[in-house]
Amino acid sequence: MDMIIQQVINGLSLGSVYALIAVGYSLVYSILLFSNFAHGGFLVIGGYICYFALRGAGMGIWAASLAALIGAGISAVIVERLAYKPIRERTPITLYMLIASMGMSIVIENIFVVTVGGRFRALPPVIPTQPVNVFGLATTSAFDLLSLATAVVFLVGLQLFLSKTKWGLAIRAASYNLRVAGLMGVNVNRLISIVFFVAGLLAGVGGIFLSVRYTLYPQLGMITTKAFVAAVIGGLGSLPGAVVGSLILGLAEMLTAGFISSQFRDLVVFGLLIITLIVRPTGLFGKSVGEKV
Amino acid sequence: MDGYTSGIITLLAINCIAALGVSLFTGFTGVFTLGHAGYMAIGAYTAAILTVQYEVNFIVAIIAGGILAMIFAYLIGLPTLKLVGDYYTIASLGLGEAIRLIIENWESFTRGSRGYPGIDNYTSMPVAVSFLLVMGIGMFFLVNSNYGRAFKACRDDYVAASLLGFNTARFRVFSLAISGFYCGVSGALLGGFMSFIQPVMFDMAKSTELVSIVVFGGLGSMSGCLIGTTILTLVTELFRPISQYRMLVYGMVLVLVMVLRPEGIMGTSELTKDYIKNIFTRRKKITAADGGAR
Amino acid sequence: MSVMLELKGVNKSFGGVQAVKDMSFVIEKGELAGLIGPNGAGKTTIFNLVTGVYDVTSGEIEFKGKNINKLKTFQVISLGIARTFQNLRLFSASSVLDNVMTAAQQHYQYGFFEAVSHLGRWKKMEKAAREESMELLERVGLADRADQAAGTLPYGMQRRLEIARAISLRPELLLLDEPAAGMNAEEVEQLNELIRLIHADFKLTILLIEHHMDMVMAICPHIVCMNFGAKIAEGSPAEIQSHPEVLKAYLGEEE
Repeated sequence: MDMIIQQVINGLSLGSVYALIAVGYSLVYSILLFSNFAHGGFLVIGGYICYFALRGAGMGIWAASLAALIGAGISAVIVERLAYKPIRERTPITLYMLIASMGMSIVIENIFVVTVGGRFRALPPVIPTQPVNVFGLATTSAFDLLSLATAVVFLVGLQLFLSKTKWGLAIRAASYNLRVAGLMGVNVNRLISIVFFVAGLLAGVGGIFLSVRYTLYPQLGMITTKAFVAAVIGGLGSLPGAVVGSLILGLAEMLTAGFISSQFRDLVVFGLLIITLIVRPTGLFGKSVGEKV
Repeated sequence: MDGYTSGIITLLAINCIAALGVSLFTGFTGVFTLGHAGYMAIGAYTAAILTVQYEVNFIVAIIAGGILAMIFAYLIGLPTLKLVGDYYTIASLGLGEAIRLIIENWESFTRGSRGYPGIDNYTSMPVAVSFLLVMGIGMFFLVNSNYGRAFKACRDDYVAASLLGFNTARFRVFSLAISGFYCGVSGALLGGFMSFIQPVMFDMAKSTELVSIVVFGGLGSMSGCLIGTTILTLVTELFRPISQYRMLVYGMVLVLVMVLRPEGIMGTSELTKDYIKNIFTRRKKITAADGGAR
Repeated sequence: MSVMLELKGVNKSFGGVQAVKDMSFVIEKGELAGLIGPNGAGKTTIFNLVTGVYDVTSGEIEFKGKNINKLKTFQVISLGIARTFQNLRLFSASSVLDNVMTAAQQHYQYGFFEAVSHLGRWKKMEKAAREESMELLERVGLADRADQAAGTLPYGMQRRLEIARAISLRPELLLLDEPAAGMNAEEVEQLNELIRLIHADFKLTILLIEHHMDMVMAICPHIVCMNFGAKIAEGSPAEIQSHPEVLKAYLGEEE
C-alpha cells in the first residue's frame, strides 16, 4: 500500500512536469495546427540557462530560474520567427513546418553537443530533495512535491492568463479559427509570438525540474516525445486534455516501473499511444476535424 | 578502386535503397513518417540472426529481412493508416521507437542494447550495387505505372482518389509495405557492411535522417531522392572527422530546405532528357514537371 | 424505362443538424435531370450520400435496383457512378493527361509484378489507356494541353477536365456538382453544349446540381427542387418555374 501511494505521488509529480511541456505543445497545436517537434529544444535551453546561471554566474535559484524561463520563452519566439514564420506565410501546408520543426529540434540539441559537450551535468543542489513524510502514509521526496506544486502554480497561472486577459481571449479565439481572429483585428504575428513565448516558458520550467531529476544533457529534449504522447492521449489541441493525458502517462510510467520493471516503462508509454490512436485518435478531449467535401 | 572508395559507394547504395522506400511512402503517397528506421532494424536483425545463428545464405537472409520488415509494415499499416495527418506521423514515431525498445529488451533473442556482433561481411560493393540497381529500376518502373498514379492520387487528394474508384486505404498500406521491404533490405545490407548492429543505430535520429534525405532531394522525385542521398552521404563522409557536426548539418539542411526551397532539389520532376535540355535552353515550358499549385 | 437511381426516404443528420429530410426521387436511365435549391439546401449532401462519402442516417439509396447504403466510396464508383465537385478536385500538379489516365486506368488493369518490371501487359495497357485518354481530351477540346499541369489551366478548362476525367471512368450515372460555377454566359452556353454532347455520345444518365437557372431550365426536362434538406417541388421546367414553394425559397416570402 505504501508502495502504491509512493508510486502514485511519483507518477503525479512526473506527470505534472509532462503537463507543463504537453500544455505548451498543445497550445501551439491549437493555434497553428501543427506539431512543433522542436518543443524539446526549449526545454533544454531552459535547463542549460539555469545551470550556467547557477554554476557560472553564481545566481540564486530564483534569479537563475527566472533567467531560464525568460530565455526559454525568447528562444521559442526566435525559432518561430526564423523557421516557422517564413513557411507559414508562404503556404498553408503544415507538413513543411513539421519537417522544419524536426530540423530545429536536431539543430538545438546539437548546438549544445557541439558547444558545451554532451556530458551529463548535475544541477547544483539548490532544490530540496530530502524525504518528506506525507500525512504519515508514505514518504516521498520534497522534490516531487515541489515539482507538483510548481506545475500546479504555472498551470493555474496559464488558465488565468487565458481566461482573464485580453491576449488570453485572443488566443482562445485564434484556437478556433486563426484567420478569423486576424480578421477581427488581432495581430496574428504578435499573437503567435506570445503563444510561443508562453509555450517556451512552460517548457523551461519543465526543463529545470527534469534536469534535476535526470541530470542535464543535450538529448534531454527527447523526453518531450513522452509529452507529445500525453498531448495526443489527451487530445491534440486541448489544454485540459494535455494535463489529463500527462497525469495518466506519469502514473502509468511510475506504476509500471514500480511494479513490473523499469525497462517496460517506455514500452508502456508507446503502447498507450498506439492504443489511443487506434481506439480514439482524437484522444480524450480533442476536436475531430472533419473535411467538407 | 581502394577500400575507402568502395566502402563509400557501398554505404551510398545502402542509404539509397532505404531512401527510395521512404520516398515512395512519403514523397509519392504523401504520408509523412518518422519511424522507418524500425523497418531497417527488423531487416538488419533478421538477416543477422539468420546468417550468424542459422548459417543461411546471405542473399536469402537479406531478402528474408526485407520480407519480414514488409510483413510488419503491412500489419502495422492496417490499423494505423486510417489516421490522418499529424496523427499518423506521431503513431509512426511511437511505433519506430517501440520496435527499437522491443529489440533492446528482448536480450535473449537480439542480444539487447549492447548490439549484435560478428555478422559476416557479406555486403561487398557489387552486392550492394546490384541490389540498388534491381530495386531502383523496379521502383522507377513502379512509379511510372498505374500503381504510381494511384499513389500520387492518394497523396494529392484522397477524397478525389476514392471518388475515382481507388481504395485509398489499401493503396496506402500497400505503399507502406513496399517501403518496409526496401528499408528492411537496406538494414540487412547495413548489418553485413558494419558487421555489427545496435538498436541505437535505428532510432528516431535515423528515421529523421531518412526523411531529411527525401525532403532534400525532393518529395515526389525518385531521381531527386538518389541525388539527395548522394550529396548528403558524401557530405557526412567529409564531416566524419568532426562527426558531432554531422547531425547539426542534417538538422540545418532540413530547416533551410523547408524555409528556402520546400520542394527540395528536384521538386516533383525527374531527371529526364527533357529536364536537362530545359536547364540549358532555359525555356520555361509549363510542363507538369514544374507547374501547378501544390 | 429502367430506374437508374432511387432515393427512398433518405435522412441525414450531422449531430443536431438535419441536412436531408425524407428525400425521395427517381432518376430513370438515360435522363438528364437537375437538382436545384438555394445554398445550403443539402444538394451536395445528396451527392455525398449517394457516393458513400457520408452514411445515411435512415432511408435507402438504390442504384439500378441494388441498395448501396453500406458501400464504401470506391465500391460505389466501381458500380458505375462518377462525380465532379463544386470546388474542383483536380490533381493540380499532375498533367492534364495524367489526370484522365488516373481514371482511365481502372479499365486497363495489370498486376504489381508487371508494373515493377514493365513487362507483360504493361506496355499494351498503358498504350491503350493513353490512347483512350487522348481521344477523350480531343472530344472536350483539351488535347493540345495534354502535358500541361492541370492547375495552370484556365478555370473553364479545368472544369472541362474534371468532367472528362469523370467520364473516362465509363460511368452509367454521372453526378455533376455545379459544373457552371463561376462561368459567364458564354462559357455556360459552351458547357450546355458539352453536357448535351456527352449525354448523347456516351449514353450517360446525368444528374446535375446547378445555380444557373437558365442552364438547368434549358437542358433538364426533369428537375427536383430542394430547400432546407427537403424536396419542395419536382417536375418539368415549366412546373418548377411556376411552383409557389420554389418561388418562396428563392425569392422569399411576401411580407
